Amino acid sequence: MALKALDIYKLLPKKNCKECGDPTCLTFAMKLAGGKADVDLCPHLDEQAKAVLGASTRPPIRLVKIGIGERSFAIGEEFVLYRHEKTFYHPPGIFFKVSDTQTMEEVSAVTKRVRDESFIRVGSDLRCNGIALENSSGTKEMFAAAVATVEKAADLPLVLISEKTESLFAALVHCGTYRPLLHAATKENFKEMCALAKHHDCPLVIKARGLEQLAQLAKECALEGVQDLVMDSSPQSLGEFITASTAIRQLAITRAMPDLGYPVFLDATGSDIQDAAIALGIVKYASVIVTAPLSEASAKAALTLRQNIYTDPQKPIQMNPGLYRVGTPGKDAPVLMTVNFSLTFFTLQGYLESTRIPCFMLVVDTEGLSVLTSVAAGKLNETLVRDALIRFGVENEVAHKKLIIPGYAAPLSGRIEEMTGWKVLVGPRDAAEIGEYLEQEWKK
Amino acid sequence: MGSDIRFGWTGAIGSVILGATRSEGGTRKISYRVGGGTTLPFLDHAPASSPLVALEICDEPQYWPQIVRNYCGDLVDDVSAWATTAETVYGADLIRLYLTSTRQRNFSDIPLVGKAVEEVLSATGLPLIIEGSNEPGIDSEVFQKCGEAGEGERLLLGTAEAGRYRSIAAAALAYNHSIIAQSPIDINLAKQLNILLREIGIQQDHIMIDPYTGTLGYGFEYSYSAMERIRFSALKGDADLAMPMICSAIDSLTIKEVREADTAYQDEMAVAWEFYAGLAAAVAGAEIICVRHPKTVGRLKKAFTSLKTGSDPTGRI
Repeated sequence: MALKALDIYKLLPKKNCKECGDPTCLTFAMKLAGGKADVDLCPHLDEQAKAVLGASTRPPIRLVKIGIGERSFAIGEEFVLYRHEKTFYHPPGIFFKVSDTQTMEEVSAVTKRVRDESFIRVGSDLRCNGIALENSSGTKEMFAAAVATVEKAADLPLVLISEKTESLFAALVHCGTYRPLLHAATKENFKEMCALAKHHDCPLVIKARGLEQLAQLAKECALEGVQDLVMDSSPQSLGEFITASTAIRQLAITRAMPDLGYPVFLDATGSDIQDAAIALGIVKYASVIVTAPLSEASAKAALTLRQNIYTDPQKPIQMNPGLYRVGTPGKDAPVLMTVNFSLTFFTLQGYLESTRIPCFMLVVDTEGLSVLTSVAAGKLNETLVRDALIRFGVENEVAHKKLIIPGYAAPLSGRIEEMTGWKVLVGPRDAAEIGEYLEQEWKK
Repeated sequence: MGSDIRFGWTGAIGSVILGATRSEGGTRKISYRVGGGTTLPFLDHAPASSPLVALEICDEPQYWPQIVRNYCGDLVDDVSAWATTAETVYGADLIRLYLTSTRQRNFSDIPLVGKAVEEVLSATGLPLIIEGSNEPGIDSEVFQKCGEAGEGERLLLGTAEAGRYRSIAAAALAYNHSIIAQSPIDINLAKQLNILLREIGIQQDHIMIDPYTGTLGYGFEYSYSAMERIRFSALKGDADLAMPMICSAIDSLTIKEVREADTAYQDEMAVAWEFYAGLAAAVAGAEIICVRHPKTVGRLKKAFTSLKTGSDPTGRI
């Protein structure tokens, strides 16, 4: 459980040296107790005290950085079980797995895919994150050569997968200063692994079956001086993964088992339901997901799910209200009213573009609510529509007074007509039917 | 492993029975008891059922995504054959029949609706979900006809909404069917509708909640959290939200990403979109996942098996 400020104070050097940025050791202790400072800020702590304090004063799940440079990213530092309680902060990294038994061309090609492929949705650039290189050959020479190949192709975050410290040692000659994630320390090899991780200042995956065993191993690695840990519960099925991952998150954020307060690792390869493992990892607390190189379809679906789940639920994604043009609409072009929830906007815009009928989209300010929700909440109403028509000067743009409204706003049609003097046409509920609607209703 | 985490919940999700076998007064080969969970989805290793996968079909394919016709061919012009194939080839647990014929302008051929329901009932032994009209003017007759045609079969009728539930409720009450109660991605509105339905006599064990699902990239995160919140409230003891949930990300096959995908892998894109959304929805608490692409059915069922039983015979994970 969390330590009280006074208990923490007892473990501090009591020098009041101010090097941590606080005036006294006591004020620093109070910050630590509140989870508002990091133990590492104190330069005079011995390792033992650091390990004890580390587990009980840091954020419930440790922030771990992987890689360096432009594509590096951080995982962990999460606080909740459900995204609606606050938000999820650090999206999982998705790593394409290659093996040192593949040809250099293959390894290089996969690396370049991760380096170059991206797709843009709702204004964000979505990408997979890095390369997981497995030491399938078992030899340090081939592993090192493969790492060199990856490094030559791109500066991407790496996961180095080998049980042999000598292989990792050889690989780290090429990438030791780039903070690759090492996989994995076990009960048997953790001392050597910790020495390697410590020497190169790399994050380290610890692997054990059973949560108590994982917690124990985490504690031992922390005592060895390695605290940038990631946990692999080596699940044998999707059911085992969701059970373990949920338990780790719950026990960590409640600080019931502070030694489980590290991000979670998931290897999704080795099965033809890899997509299921990835989806599950994204929604259920995995922070590093290793997968075979994904098809374009799987990659897009996975990245989109990740974007959705890691969107701050308190901020609706909004468009600026206004009059938007699709194509080059003339004086007789239809005017379609919609809301400023960006997904509604982009969906409708997509369908309108494919109709090839130039038109206007009148986007009214529903504060980011969808049509369904804004009608239900009374936010979308006749006054709002009237004000938007005036504010955006729609009358000057078209030579008619006909307004198409979304099907779900049908209950408002009479009131909008009365208040605006425009003739209201009720469009389809589903944006997918807009093309057909315009063909049939507008052109006639 | 780790299964001993306790959240201290006292509530449980209620059950809804779908379908009736001969001994239960119907003609289905199987019936399902949906719901019954007492913790977060898939953490419960008790015999609570796995999520079910429903394949959506329709009686007038001009209102259906083109991609389904491309994949299924002329099958979509014969609703009986489509239903049979859904059961025997695609492996669906349930069939959801959309009576899209009612969307035709000035539709008034009500007996046709009854005929479609009867045809599908005889073409498959699976329990049915029936989606009635979209047009308030004909709701009453359409739902009455569906209810009558499926009497004794414990259908699930859709879809009731806050402003539009009386016709469907009347049909459900008259013929002992269950109904889908849809609200626009909002836990409070979901609760309100359930209370309205209760007040006109629909039993709690005859309601499934549809919190409305925007597909991946189109509002899915809102639906995901709405489902999590509904499940969470139910487990904490809110009986007005303790109904099982149904999820249908119906936009999946018509969104830009799928429409504009290269034809060579358009099916794959469609299936990936339905699969990722469906799996995530099940994890958030949906007990029935509806899909339109036949290939999504088997993939979801396989994933649910691995989630539920704790191991999948074909793969390590």
